[in-house]
Amino acid sequence: MAFQSRKKFCYFKENGITDVDYKDVKLLRRFVTDQGKIMPRRVTGTSAKMHRKLVRAIKQARNIALMPYTNTSTES
Amino acid sequence: MRYYESLYIVNPNYEQERLDEVMQMVVDKMGEYGFSIINHRVWGKKRLAYSIQKHKYGSFILLQYETELAENLDRFERFMVLQKPILRNQTVVLDARPEVHVEEEPVADESEEASVETEVEEATENTPETIETTEAAEEESPEEKVDDNESGDEESSEVGETEEVVEKETEEVQE
Repeated sequence: MAFQSRKKFCYFKENGITDVDYKDVKLLRRFVTDQGKIMPRRVTGTSAKMHRKLVRAIKQARNIALMPYTNTSTES
Repeated sequence: MRYYESLYIVNPNYEQERLDEVMQMVVDKMGEYGFSIINHRVWGKKRLAYSIQKHKYGSFILLQYETELAENLDRFERFMVLQKPILRNQTVVLDARPEVHVEEEPVADESEEASVETEVEEATENTPETIETTEAAEEESPEEKVDDNESGDEESSEVGETEEVVEKETEEVQE
C-alpha cells in the first residue's frame, strides 16, 4: 500500500510574510539543513517567489556571520 | 531618495567608550558623504557563526540611512573596509523608509524587575506546599500498590482453591 504524502504548503504564504529579513536568523534556520545547506523548495514547499527572497536572505546572513556557510562536526 | 541599511561588526574586546568612538567616526564620515542617518544603534554582542580574524564574538551595530548620492556608497564601503576595528560590514538596499527605533529601556526594566519579584515571591510561597503534597502523594502511593498486590494474590489463591474443590467434587461424582 502506497504512503499518502503530506500536503506541502508555503510557510510564508500561510503566515502572511511578504519579505524575508536577513537578520531574522530564527526564521532562516528553518530552511537550512544541520550542515547549513539551503533546503530545496521541493522539500520545504516554499513558493518560487519567496524561495528566491529566502535564498538571498540566507546568503546575506552568511556574509555577515549570522549563519554558517558550513557546519561540520570538527568546527565549533 | 533611497534607503540603505549597513550592519557592521566591531571588535568584541572594545568597551562601550571605544565603541562609541567608532560609531562617532562612522557618523562623521557619513556627514562628509552627505548621508542622513535614520537609525544608528548597537544591536548587541553576538556569537559569530564562523570566526573572523580569530574573533568568535562580535559587537553588531545597525545603521540605517537615506541618500540620493549613490556614487558615495562605494567610497563609504571602502572606508568601512579599511577601518581596523570593523571586522565585517554589509550594506543592503531597503524597499521602504525604516521606522525610527525608539528605546524604551527604563519602562521595560521596571516591568521586568517587578515581574521577576512577583515570580520569586510566588515561587517561595508555593515551594513548601508543593513539597508537602508530593511527599503525601508518595506516602499514599506505596500503600495503594501493596494493597493491590495483596488483593491480587488473595484473588488468585481463592480461584486456585475453588478449582481444587471443583475437581474433588467431579472425582466424587465419577466414583
